[in-house]
Amino acid sequence: MAADLGVLNDDLQEKVKSSRILVVGAGGIGCELLKNLVLTGFKDIEVIDLDTIDVSNLNRQFLFRKEHVGKSKAQVARESALKFNPDGKIKAYHDSVMSTEYDTEFFKQFDVVLNALDNRAARNHVNRMCLAADKPLVESGTAGYLGQVTVIKKGLTECYECQPKPHQKTFPGCTIRNTPSEPIHCIVWAKHLFNQLFGEADPDEDVSPDTEDPELAGDAGKQALQSEAKEDTVGGIERKSTRIWAQETGYDPMKIFNKLFRDDIHYLLSMESLWKKRRPPEPLDFDSLPNTGGSSDNMNLIHDQRIWSVQECADIFKQSVDLLKSELQKQGDAGILVWDKDEPAAMDFVTAAANIRAYIFGIPIKSRFDIKSMAGNIIPAIATTNAIIAGLLVMEALKILSGNINDCRTVYLNRHPNSRKKLLVPCMLDPPNPKCYVCSSKPEVTVKVNTTSMTVKSLEDKVIKGQFGLVAPDVELDDGKGTIIISSEEGETEENAAKPLSFFGIKNGSRIKCDDFLQEYNLNITLLHVDKLEEEKEFEVVGDVSEVQARAAEASAAAAAAATTVSSFTPSNTAPDNSASNNGQGQTEIDDEDDLEIIEDEEEEMIVETSAISRKRKADEVEEPASKKARKLNSEQVNEDDDAIVVL
Amino acid sequence: MVEQKEMNLTEDEAALYDRQIRLWGLDAQKRLRAARVLLIGLQGLGAEIAKNIVLAGIKSLTLMDHTVVTEEDACSQFLIPRSKIGENRAEASVERTALLNPMVEVTADSSDIAEKDETFFQNFDVVCATNLIKDQLLRINSICHENKIKFFAGDVFGYHGFMFADLNEHEYAEETIKKKKESGEASAKKAKMQEEETVVSKKSMSFVRLKEALAVDWSSENMSKLLKKVPKTFFIIQVLLRFRAQYKRDPSPKSKEEDIVNLLKLRDQVLEELKISKDFVDDSFASYCFAELSPVCAIVGGVFGQEIIKAVSQKDAPHNNFFFFNGLDGSGMVDCIGNS
Repeated sequence: MAADLGVLNDDLQEKVKSSRILVVGAGGIGCELLKNLVLTGFKDIEVIDLDTIDVSNLNRQFLFRKEHVGKSKAQVARESALKFNPDGKIKAYHDSVMSTEYDTEFFKQFDVVLNALDNRAARNHVNRMCLAADKPLVESGTAGYLGQVTVIKKGLTECYECQPKPHQKTFPGCTIRNTPSEPIHCIVWAKHLFNQLFGEADPDEDVSPDTEDPELAGDAGKQALQSEAKEDTVGGIERKSTRIWAQETGYDPMKIFNKLFRDDIHYLLSMESLWKKRRPPEPLDFDSLPNTGGSSDNMNLIHDQRIWSVQECADIFKQSVDLLKSELQKQGDAGILVWDKDEPAAMDFVTAAANIRAYIFGIPIKSRFDIKSMAGNIIPAIATTNAIIAGLLVMEALKILSGNINDCRTVYLNRHPNSRKKLLVPCMLDPPNPKCYVCSSKPEVTVKVNTTSMTVKSLEDKVIKGQFGLVAPDVELDDGKGTIIISSEEGETEENAAKPLSFFGIKNGSRIKCDDFLQEYNLNITLLHVDKLEEEKEFEVVGDVSEVQARAAEASAAAAAAATTVSSFTPSNTAPDNSASNNGQGQTEIDDEDDLEIIEDEEEEMIVETSAISRKRKADEVEEPASKKARKLNSEQVNEDDDAIVVL
Repeated sequence: MVEQKEMNLTEDEAALYDRQIRLWGLDAQKRLRAARVLLIGLQGLGAEIAKNIVLAGIKSLTLMDHTVVTEEDACSQFLIPRSKIGENRAEASVERTALLNPMVEVTADSSDIAEKDETFFQNFDVVCATNLIKDQLLRINSICHENKIKFFAGDVFGYHGFMFADLNEHEYAEETIKKKKESGEASAKKAKMQEEETVVSKKSMSFVRLKEALAVDWSSENMSKLLKKVPKTFFIIQVLLRFRAQYKRDPSPKSKEEDIVNLLKLRDQVLEELKISKDFVDDSFASYCFAELSPVCAIVGGVFGQEIIKAVSQKDAPHNNFFFFNGLDGSGMVDCIGNS
């Protein structure tokens, strides 16, 4: 162990031996990180991970082997890492870091917290816990060949949430339901269908033809009203009926097939205006399927990469419906299935349904392998990138322990060296964003909603938890009386859930106070009333920079070219499998040379997920002091000098 | 070089390598599975390289080292159990290396690479050399170059590390994403209705031998202008290799103060020979070059591993021809030296 052998300088050596480290996540980065920590001489480590080991982890999570599949990652990682240094102490928790046991007191025990996570919800939460406990956090992320490490310290640097993250890409309901044009539209539809038939139905995930498609002729205003009315009442009944209809047919695969792929398509065809300039869909009948599709050259592919024929899709559709039906029955009356890419029948179902729909609309059919990437939102991961990032994590942690936090950097791992020859690019840490809705002294946001249609439950799930990352909020009206509309105590405010905000007197300009006891975090929200938001959105954060950027990026050809290779959507109510986004806006590269080049070459890196926020780097600001850099945050002067990496 | 792709991947392989096949594709994985690699030097950096390429799924790995395990291996050599101090490094590493991936053949060879002749190297597609003196690196590099074997060299000294690659004439495939215009889409909401197309292009690159990289005349008019942009680690590494040759060991924490003095003397000597001003490399490096620091091994070994994967799979542009890591400022640079 380096710290026992006098490899590090004396002061640091003692720090390493005595400090307490929390490692959050024992996956790809976590395994590498534990190895590095133990070998460097850290003796008091705690590691937490909720996950169990899967066979697809074994190509990189080298502390695990085949016989460990199904076991707790944290526990197996602990045992394996201790073999590298039996004198160390590692405590493992097979648990979610977001659970209430891990409160501020828990976080205060550690000298440094090291994140090795794969999703944004947990990153947001650990960020807040470290702010509340005032502990330094080293954050990390990888996606394919790309990676990033950064340091977060309250009051000194940006927090994880100082810069808005790009949103998950969503598609307009009418594209999904009426006019799909890309494979992803069919995949989204198939996952919605799975939830309608077997899972927890969501009114936003209707799969039947949408009669309120704005493309259909008619009075837009009237339709808007109809659509609102529908959300209040009809939606609930309708979604129930899809499920009930399936139950009534006894989940007969042929009947389901003919309803979805024949009758519904005929109905769509009756909306003639949709097909004036589009290729109209071609209904399919289970009993007379075309003998087409499927690839002839399947010889050199792995099984999942074969392209199925339409007949094969229909057969697999039937088989998977039968399997899922019996799975569902095992659970009893109120049973629901949760879609999982690693559940063969669930994955088969989505592949088959998406491809049949694709065929109907003349969209290319995809392999099960490719559909799994898109439906499961898989971000490819490799050992080497994780090893590099975990090494950088420890290098930053050593600087913090040496008392040199000012020497810490955000470091990006690029795919190719930039024009300054840098493959690993260290950038100055930015100071906190004074307008950050998390780490500023009085967090404030303004949100546009329809106060007469949005329910308290939607406000809680979609806005307060979903958008702003609170885990167990108490919400109070700023009405002078302190009316509690949402309580973190279970059951206390349940009767409010289905009521619209207006029921509580919430109107344009009303303020609510949200308090998360665990995160020690208070957020004031000003609500603005609007009748309708564009693209069927339920709410909009005012001045949400990421929205603006997302749109700008969409328009930019460069971003579009690089985006969505891996793509692209996740169900809004679950955390993505892997979440990647950019943490570094306005990062400034450190350069120890005084000759500044004019502008970096543009390097188009693969951008993971749909996010297209890029790092801005102004050549004339290289190595400027922080105060000067702050200008960039509020300015229009960002140039298009993107060598975009999006990680974290 | 690498044998042509053979039969299909088994379903077990497809499941194990799923996430990386999604990144580099099936052809690359098939080429990896045919690659025979020789890894010389089983200290910290060697352990990282071994781990990365065994996990990736090469055909076989020969671990070669004639030296014995010391206390210092505990800083970074995680493939050797701590009970094995005094045993041969290659043999002590074999068990844990093999456990990383049962589909890869891992063997140990405890002989001294200095005694191996040209025919020995012809058994491999890739040779990767660490912990060697410069003369050996130059000798092995020439053999590999003559025989069109992909050659890599590298080391980690404390906070500093490097990798060198000579892939000779290297052919590779590179994917670029192009957009193709979608014609006549009715719902032309935005100009976003463009479909992406992945274009695979065949490219090639030439590499030089280490000898040529080290023979650059930095006093010449052309090179002295470029000198400022050459990573200093390039020169630091030359000082450390000189130390290794002269003292027949690496700088040791046990003789730290004495070694620092000698390192600074060697720095002056090396720079003088290269006709570079002494203050080009300041003194601080000498205090941070002891043992192989684990996180530095992880970083350099990660880049190293990925470059071997690229070389074997013939996918993506390799780094031509050096990678340097400096743990003091966190920079990792790629530079092409000696290849005009």
